[in-house]
Amino acid sequence: MYKLLLCLRYLRTRYLAFICIVSVMLGVATLIVVNAVMSGFSTKLKDRLHGVLSDVIVETDRMDGFEIPNPDSTSDNPLPPLTPEQVAARIMASPAGDRIEAISPTIEVFAILQFEFQGQTMTKPVKLIGVNPESRAAVGGFSEFLERQKDAPNVTFDLTPEARRQHELNMLGAAPPENVLVMPNVPQQPLVRKIDDLPDPDDGVMKAEMPRPRVYGAIPGYTIAHFRYRKSDGEVVTEAALRPGDRIDLTTVSAFQTDRGVSVKPVSGSFLVADYIKTEMSEYDQSLVYVPLDHLQRIRGMEGRCTHFQLKLKDYEQDKEFVVRELENIFPPQGGSRVATWEQMQGSLLAAIEVERSILNLLLFMIVGVAGFSILAIFTMIVSEKYRDIGVMKSLGASNNGVMSIFVGYGLLLGVVGCVLGTVLGLWITANINEIEQFLTYVRGRQIFPRDVYYFKEIPTNVEALNVVVVNLGAVTTAVLFSVLPAWRAARLHPVRALRFE
Amino acid sequence: MLIAENLQKTYRRHAVAVRVLSGLNLEVQTGEFLSIVGASGSGKSTLLHLLGTLDEPDAGRILLDGRRIDDLPGRERDALRNKTFGYIFQFYHLLPELNALDNVLMPAYIGQSVVGWWKTRSQWRRRAEQLLDRVGLGHRMKHRPREMSGGEMQRAAVARALLTQPRVLLADEPTGNLDAATGGEIVKLLREINRDDGVTIVMVTHNLEIVSATDRVVRMVNGVVTDDTSATKVPHFPAPLLAAV
Repeated sequence: MYKLLLCLRYLRTRYLAFICIVSVMLGVATLIVVNAVMSGFSTKLKDRLHGVLSDVIVETDRMDGFEIPNPDSTSDNPLPPLTPEQVAARIMASPAGDRIEAISPTIEVFAILQFEFQGQTMTKPVKLIGVNPESRAAVGGFSEFLERQKDAPNVTFDLTPEARRQHELNMLGAAPPENVLVMPNVPQQPLVRKIDDLPDPDDGVMKAEMPRPRVYGAIPGYTIAHFRYRKSDGEVVTEAALRPGDRIDLTTVSAFQTDRGVSVKPVSGSFLVADYIKTEMSEYDQSLVYVPLDHLQRIRGMEGRCTHFQLKLKDYEQDKEFVVRELENIFPPQGGSRVATWEQMQGSLLAAIEVERSILNLLLFMIVGVAGFSILAIFTMIVSEKYRDIGVMKSLGASNNGVMSIFVGYGLLLGVVGCVLGTVLGLWITANINEIEQFLTYVRGRQIFPRDVYYFKEIPTNVEALNVVVVNLGAVTTAVLFSVLPAWRAARLHPVRALRFE
Repeated sequence: MLIAENLQKTYRRHAVAVRVLSGLNLEVQTGEFLSIVGASGSGKSTLLHLLGTLDEPDAGRILLDGRRIDDLPGRERDALRNKTFGYIFQFYHLLPELNALDNVLMPAYIGQSVVGWWKTRSQWRRRAEQLLDRVGLGHRMKHRPREMSGGEMQRAAVARALLTQPRVLLADEPTGNLDAATGGEIVKLLREINRDDGVTIVMVTHNLEIVSATDRVVRMVNGVVTDDTSATKVPHFPAPLLAAV
């Protein structure tokens, strides 16, 4: 009983202990805020990484795409390899089929993008992806990132009337293409001219057997189509280098199958910008260009083939390993195919995020360690001050363990109070972190969280309850551990010497 | 009741050894008020600490009602100090964070578990209040030691020593830090306790003026008892403050 009484009295009267409480409070608050911000960044980054990638990806190294033999083919009746649709049906018919929600075949190949901007020819290396917009949207990680068709139920490569007008302005003096993709129910504009009036492409890279280019809609990454610069007043401005309706030329390699194997030759096509894709991941926004799958197949001479399958699972966490195993039966690694989850595709980046977070937690926990040493120092002083009181208590019958538990309990009480205050402070800071950032920006005159660098409008936070509990338990444990030594010394004091202490 | 046989105690600090008790023998009768006098360094306080099991002798024995107490396990010695012995110190040694009532209740706080205290708290509180009334501090229960005079603090210490109805009170220079008048009041209080409650009191003092209030005086010189006589036979100056005792 006296232990509890004295702990509480010491807490209220020993102002020196207030320093311990503040140390623990600051350590706990710092850990909570940093973990919340890192978790927010990590979660947002994972969402971004997963965003464009589907749950499971099947890919091949072959330039001409998958070659899955038709099981019905015989030497007497040879059949061509399975088409993407037939492969998809085979996947759905496999044991993994009932765990798959959607499949989308795609072609992914490197390309060079060219466009005219302010009289100059701009060139960028890109990753060209041919998709069926409907099936790609069903797999996820596509329509939610589009600027104009965000979350639209039916994604298309069609142009808006504004885009079409822009294209007409661009083509002033030249004919617009015949097969410009139009919006549904939008009447043909009388000013639209035929594709044959388009100037011919440079024959230096085109061969006679190559299909004549047509102009189709394309969806480039947001960063490809825009550029940022800082004005003299410090304001960051974003301007479009490519507007909807502007023309881009994409040059890639063919995948024609000949008797001598795959013919790798440059091929190109012209497209009109129909939309942008903005994932807020610079890795994607500055490199991806989406075009219609069937058109890319024709350009590359690989009709009825694809290089990737994107799959969405019904329950990713539960079924990912099973599905990957089953798909490897259809796409054996020995055949140059690879089946992987999105996490495996981004394994190194995700691992780096976790390592960084773990190291940061370790370093920041040293703050709590510093608080522990302050408890050690202050308790040593308090015990010295209390020598006589300890002698008195022992003369009244207090045991050594009882005296020790007074100070260990005191350390526990300080730790608990510090943790409670630190948790409240940490959660408050986390909840108001953007307002605090704005205030600090105003005070410092410089942006603490530059939006143009991080690409987020706000500082992302994610408070994990388990993390808060672990931080609190760690802080309380540290406070108790660092109070043990002074408490033990107090317990070992000889009552006579303690009573005589000056 | 309380017997010390051939007690020896030496304090050592590095290579220096100071022999404080050199084979001391003493017997304290039940219900008597014994004073131990002697010069500074004669071993009076050391003897008191040994009798109250605050320290252990290097040699010799201490018996309480025929039972040896100097070699008891720690837990039993703690229980003895809580219930059988009561201590009064020269510098009062009240806990500064607690008020007078809580200070008096400390032996009960120490001797009871939380549950045990919860069940008996009203009884202990009543006893503590009665004791504070008895020592004349009924109006100072909620005051902290820093708000009390020396005499009041020593009264509170007396009340604390009596809370658990100990059989033996051990007072180490109880008037050493008080003026003559206040010291006289304290000794008068102890006399009343001895007479009314039958508590055996062993008081260490170097003040011969107050030994007349006691029953027996034992003089110590260099760690041994040299004189053991009735207090009435101890020559002393007139002590008007003790006249009413």
